[in-house]
Amino acid sequence: MTVLEQLNSGSLYLICGAIVAFIAAVCVIFMVRAWRAGKALGMDTVRMKRAITSSATFSVLPSVGILLGVLALSGSLGVPWPWLRLSVIGALHYETQVADAAAEQLGISLGSGQMTTQAFATIALLMSLCIVWGMVLSALFNRRYLAKLQRGGGKEKKAGGFGDRAMAAMFIGMVSAYIGSYVGAFISGQGAFSFAGDWTPLIVVLVSALAMALFTYLAEKKGIAWLDNFSIAGSMLCGMVAAVLIGR
Amino acid sequence: MDREQYYNGYMKKTHFLGRLVSVISLALLLGAPFVIGMVLGALPDLGAVARGFISVGLVWTVSSVVEFLVYTPMLGAGGSYLAFITGNLINMKIPCAMNAKELVGAKSGTPENEVISTLSIATSSLVTILVLFLGVLLLIPLQPVLQSPVLQPAFANVVPALFGAMAYKYYRKDPVLAMIPLAAMVALFTLVPSLTSSTSFMIIPSGALAIGLSYLKYRRETRGGAEK
Repeated sequence: MTVLEQLNSGSLYLICGAIVAFIAAVCVIFMVRAWRAGKALGMDTVRMKRAITSSATFSVLPSVGILLGVLALSGSLGVPWPWLRLSVIGALHYETQVADAAAEQLGISLGSGQMTTQAFATIALLMSLCIVWGMVLSALFNRRYLAKLQRGGGKEKKAGGFGDRAMAAMFIGMVSAYIGSYVGAFISGQGAFSFAGDWTPLIVVLVSALAMALFTYLAEKKGIAWLDNFSIAGSMLCGMVAAVLIGR
Repeated sequence: MDREQYYNGYMKKTHFLGRLVSVISLALLLGAPFVIGMVLGALPDLGAVARGFISVGLVWTVSSVVEFLVYTPMLGAGGSYLAFITGNLINMKIPCAMNAKELVGAKSGTPENEVISTLSIATSSLVTILVLFLGVLLLIPLQPVLQSPVLQPAFANVVPALFGAMAYKYYRKDPVLAMIPLAAMVALFTLVPSLTSSTSFMIIPSGALAIGLSYLKYRRETRGGAEK
C-alpha cells in the first residue's frame, strides 16, 4: 500500500467524516435557534427566508472554488484530510501555503512523491495548529468583547452611526488591497515597471464589476428585486467565464 | 420588556453553546492528527511542528487576533462562533453575511442583525459542507471535468471575481474615499511587488487607512451638522 493509498483509506474517511458531521450538526442547531429567536422577536419570516436563500446562493460558487482546493491538495495529502481542513476553519487562501511550509520544515516538497506517514501527521498537525486562534479567542473573549462594545455604544451615541460606515470602509480597504495587488503584480510582477505580469485577474475584476453594475442597475432601476439574490454569484460567474475565455 | 428578556436569555445560551462547541471543535481538530497518526502508525514530529509554527504560525496568530477584533462585531455572537469554527471568512462568510444583512436591512449590533447573521453564516457553512461532501463523493467522475485545463483559469480567478463584484458594491458608496486606499495599495504593490504573496496582511494597513479617512469625513459631517 502506498502512502497516498493509506491517506485515502476508509478509516481516514471515517475520522474526518465524523468531525465534519459534528460541525454540520452544530450549524443546524445554531440555525434552528436563530430562526426560532427571530420569530419570537417578531421578525418577518419572509425576510429571514430571504437571508437564507441569498446566503445559500451566494455560497455555492465560492464553495465550488473551495472544493477545487480539496482537489488541489488531494494529490499529496489524500482526499479525507483536505476535505476536513476546508470544511472546518480552513481557508482556501492559506491552506496550501501552510502545508507547503510544513513540508519545507521536513525537507520535502508537496506533490513530489516524498510523502511519508510521519510527514503527513506532522503537516496535518501544523495545518490545524496555525489556524485555531480565531476559535480560541472566540471561545475566551467573544462574550466580554461584545458586551464591551455594547456598553461603549450606549455611552457615546454619536459614534453609533459610525459603526456601519467603518465596516463599509473596512471593505473598501480590503478590496483595495486585493485590486492593488493585481495591479502591482501586472506592472512589476515580472520586474519593476515591466508591465509583463499576469493581467487576467485585472480583466476578471473589471468584468465582474461591470456585471455587478448591470445587476444593480436592473435590480434598482428596473425593479427586479429578486435579482439581488444572485447579483454577486452571477457577477462572479461572468468574471470566471472571462478568465476561461482569456485562457491563462 | 418581554422581548428584551427573551433576547437576553437567547444570547446567554448562545454564548454557552458557542463556547462549548468551540472547545469541542478545537479538541477534535488538534486531536485528529494524533488519531490519524496512530492509525497510520506514525505520530507527528513535534519538533518540526514547533519550528514550522515559529516560521509561519506566528503570522497567522496576529492575523487571527485582527480577524477576531474586526469580524466579531460584524457578525454578532452566534455568527462569529460559527464563522470562526467553519472558516473561509474573507472569501465567503463575511461578504455573505454582509450581503444578507443589507438585503433585509438589519443594522449592526441589533437583535435583528444577530439573528440574520447567524442564519446567514449557518446556511453558508452548510452549503460549503454539502458541496464538499457531494464533491468528495463524486470526486472520481468530477475530477476530469474540474481539473480540465480549460476550466483552470476560472477557479484560479475566483478571488478576483469576488473582489470585482465587491468593488462595485462598496466603491459606489463613496468613490472619492475609495480612491485613496486604492491608489496607496497600487503604488505599494507596484513598488514592492514581493508583497503580493502577503496580500491578506496588507488588508490591515489598507483597511486602517480607509477607516481613518471615513472617520475624518464622519467627524467633519457630524460637526458641520451640529454647527448648523
